[in-house]
Amino acid sequence: MKTILATAAIASALIFSACKKDTPTPVTPVDPNAFNVSVNGKIVTVKNLPADTILGIGAMGPYGAGKYSFFSLETNSKISSSDSATSNWDLAFAGNTIRVNNVTSGPGNGGAFVYTGTFDGISQVPADSTFRVDNAPVSYAITKGSSKGWYTYDGPNNLITATPGRVLVIRTASGKYAKVEILNYYKGGVTPATTATDSIKSFDSRYYTFRYTYQSNGSTTF
Amino acid sequence: MRRVIILISILFCCSSAFSQKKKVRFDNDTLSEIVITSTRTATQLGNVTVPYQIINKKNIEQSGSLRLKDILQEQTGLYITNGFGAGVQMQGLNPDYTIILLNGEPLVGRTAGVLDVNRISISNIKRIEIVKGPSSSLYGSEAMAGVINIITDTSCKKSIETGFRYGFGNPDKGWILPLNNDVFNNLDFNLNISTTIKKTGLQYSGNAYYLDGISYRPFSTIKVPQPIWRFTNQFSLHHPFGSKTKFDLTIRDGYDYIKQEFAVANNGSTSSSYGREANHDININPVLTHQFNSSIKSALRLYATIYNGSQILHFTDKPDSAYTDQFKQHFYRVENQTDIQLKKTRLTIGAGYSIDEAQSTRYDNIENKKQNNIQFVYAQQEWNPYKKLILITGVRYDHNKLFAAALSPKFSFRYKFNKSISILGSIGRGFKAPDFRQLYLNFTNNAAGGYSVFGAVDAVKIINEMQAQGLISEIKEDFNRLTSLQPEFSTGINLGTSLSIGNKTKININLFRNDIESLIDVRQIATKSNGAQIFSYINVKNAYTEGLEIECKFKLNKQIDFSTGYQYLATADKEDLQNIKAGKVYTRDPDGTSRLLNKSEYTGLPNRSKHMGNFKINYEPTTKFYSTVRFTYRSKWYIADSDGNGLYNSNDESADGFVLINASAGFTINKQMKFYGGIDNMLNHQDANYLPNLQGRMIYMGINFKLK
Repeated sequence: MKTILATAAIASALIFSACKKDTPTPVTPVDPNAFNVSVNGKIVTVKNLPADTILGIGAMGPYGAGKYSFFSLETNSKISSSDSATSNWDLAFAGNTIRVNNVTSGPGNGGAFVYTGTFDGISQVPADSTFRVDNAPVSYAITKGSSKGWYTYDGPNNLITATPGRVLVIRTASGKYAKVEILNYYKGGVTPATTATDSIKSFDSRYYTFRYTYQSNGSTTF
Repeated sequence: MRRVIILISILFCCSSAFSQKKKVRFDNDTLSEIVITSTRTATQLGNVTVPYQIINKKNIEQSGSLRLKDILQEQTGLYITNGFGAGVQMQGLNPDYTIILLNGEPLVGRTAGVLDVNRISISNIKRIEIVKGPSSSLYGSEAMAGVINIITDTSCKKSIETGFRYGFGNPDKGWILPLNNDVFNNLDFNLNISTTIKKTGLQYSGNAYYLDGISYRPFSTIKVPQPIWRFTNQFSLHHPFGSKTKFDLTIRDGYDYIKQEFAVANNGSTSSSYGREANHDININPVLTHQFNSSIKSALRLYATIYNGSQILHFTDKPDSAYTDQFKQHFYRVENQTDIQLKKTRLTIGAGYSIDEAQSTRYDNIENKKQNNIQFVYAQQEWNPYKKLILITGVRYDHNKLFAAALSPKFSFRYKFNKSISILGSIGRGFKAPDFRQLYLNFTNNAAGGYSVFGAVDAVKIINEMQAQGLISEIKEDFNRLTSLQPEFSTGINLGTSLSIGNKTKININLFRNDIESLIDVRQIATKSNGAQIFSYINVKNAYTEGLEIECKFKLNKQIDFSTGYQYLATADKEDLQNIKAGKVYTRDPDGTSRLLNKSEYTGLPNRSKHMGNFKINYEPTTKFYSTVRFTYRSKWYIADSDGNGLYNSNDESADGFVLINASAGFTINKQMKFYGGIDNMLNHQDANYLPNLQGRMIYMGINFKLK
């Protein structure tokens, strides 16, 4: 632990001194828990997208407001829930459910399937792919359930982990393609320790960190 | 660094052995010393064919240890697990797979497979024998990793002996000792009375132990461990009928009382509760032995043991309601063992019948008694075709009511090249029958996520009922694999050498491998409509554990001796290995991106340390004074699958390795009085998350008084 801290301290000192040389303007610290979209070449990273976050814990367990957060892969932005019945959004998040804009979820031409492999490893939509659509609440394009879709739920420790080696291949509302990798389900992109309280595990959950590459020209290559 | 110390000590030990020329002998290495557990008959140490360790009364007394856990944690290759008490992991196998015997009869009352070795006081123990490798050919179920046999002192020499020990510590304050509220106290009192009236030997031994609650978590109301009282009473009777027949009776009664104060977060609201846990066990063991002639000896053994563990918690905000957890187990056995000594062959044959019963609030209904009956026969042939070679063949058959029968053969040998070099090896089958928990558990954790675990017998019925009520949202594939549980089987191979260099150095090296088939694993079989998981037990996994164990004892001179031990352990779930090989397993880097897992990152089964070692120095300048320092090291172990890939790899959550240093010293004034003291956990190592039951540094002192 000490070595990690020391390494982190040295590393941050180096970064800080490097920043001083390159940019004279003081670096404003980014709140690690704030919603944030950053673009790095073809890859867009979204941090802390709230997805029906926990309001309280009742007799039936933790509960939220029951509202989805809508996101557009085309404009890299959150979409107001008043636009939920439009084709402006591509993905909608609430708890561990992710919807695509099609059939029971919206008017768009959306679809998705879960690909096993790495994000970098999938350079185009495989030719034999079948895009699934939502048929809420029976089934979803992005399969629900532990180890079936994008996450693994550890019941005894009450933690959700984004299963490594899963890429969500998305057909957007407008029929374009994107690949999405969910990175984390908790605030700040950090999964609480197994020994954290259930209250922390609940209130810090439902904050998505994910990255994606969107192909705007309509082709199946990323 | 720690590894270096261990390595150096091994090297030092081995190399200096060649340079020393003074004649000094091991005190305990006399011809008369025997081990019983390896063959169920008295066997001289030089003839044992399997890896073993012996902890004698002197080792126990000089270590200042009070509970069985204290002394076992200092032995090579034994790993003390946390959770449901202190369990013993041997050769990398879980506590479920080591049978713990008291004078040859099994102790019962396991929680989640763990028999808490803190339950056992060692104040009246003559010797502890540890035999490694599958021993089901003699002991049946549970003896898959090995056997720990606690042999109590029933010598019945006329004496009264009493002792008192006080210990204290201050985990937050290090060495400084302001005697404030943080100080914890530890008291131990024992009394042994033995006498022989006419020819009947009688012995009573009593022990009382108290340990304060200690709060390692700042601001926590939860005391870990909680204030504990433990009482043990043991009575033995020994009566000879003539010169050929004798009768022995041992009755032991153990009672633990643990005060509890909890703050439980249940669905968001924190409710405080208070109560107690009480565990009571009784063992009754009459044995009638008859020597028919110089070559035939037979023993009729009866055994009854009752374990009753209960927990009652009252909630501060709801004083009327209480949470009750109860587990009762009754175990009865009748057994005959006959030993026949021929010219070059010794035969041991035995047969018996056991009844195992359990009742628990953790099952469907506490009134509903679960029962298993076991009939067993075993035979063993020890053949000594010529002086240098010993061959032992044994087999045992266990037939039982609840599941498939088990046949456990074993073959072992020892070849003595000369007085100083022997090689020994064994191959055997071990098994563990499914326990009552795996068959009947009916548990729902309302505090943490609401997940449920159902035993294999009832799981299908319960889930079908829940499904009819619309309470099930999903049935997993593993649900269809729920069939009647089978015993878990293993094949164990041990191959080693025993070396004596001069009279001063002894080295034992052992390589082991255990292949376990149809390992019972907890698997998710369904999901409730509220998202909570339902688990059950299925024979699915194939796993192995393998490693190397080295023990080295070296006597520098008449006053100083050293001993050191090391175990290297590698384990794997075979399915995990196949999946990694097939490129199906991914992990996540610290930046969150995922990639394929390398085979080198796989860490095997969780809660196991790759390296474990110990180093002891004994200094005994006169017969009146002794001192010892013992170092124990355990490397890091893995806790949870934090990256969600279903197995344990180096990116996952792990607990840091640690070193424990215990030291003790004592002196006798005349033959009647002994003063002693010591420090446990000198480095004050604490780990509230992963070793909640490890006490901080404790200083203790005691006095023993003996009247002959």
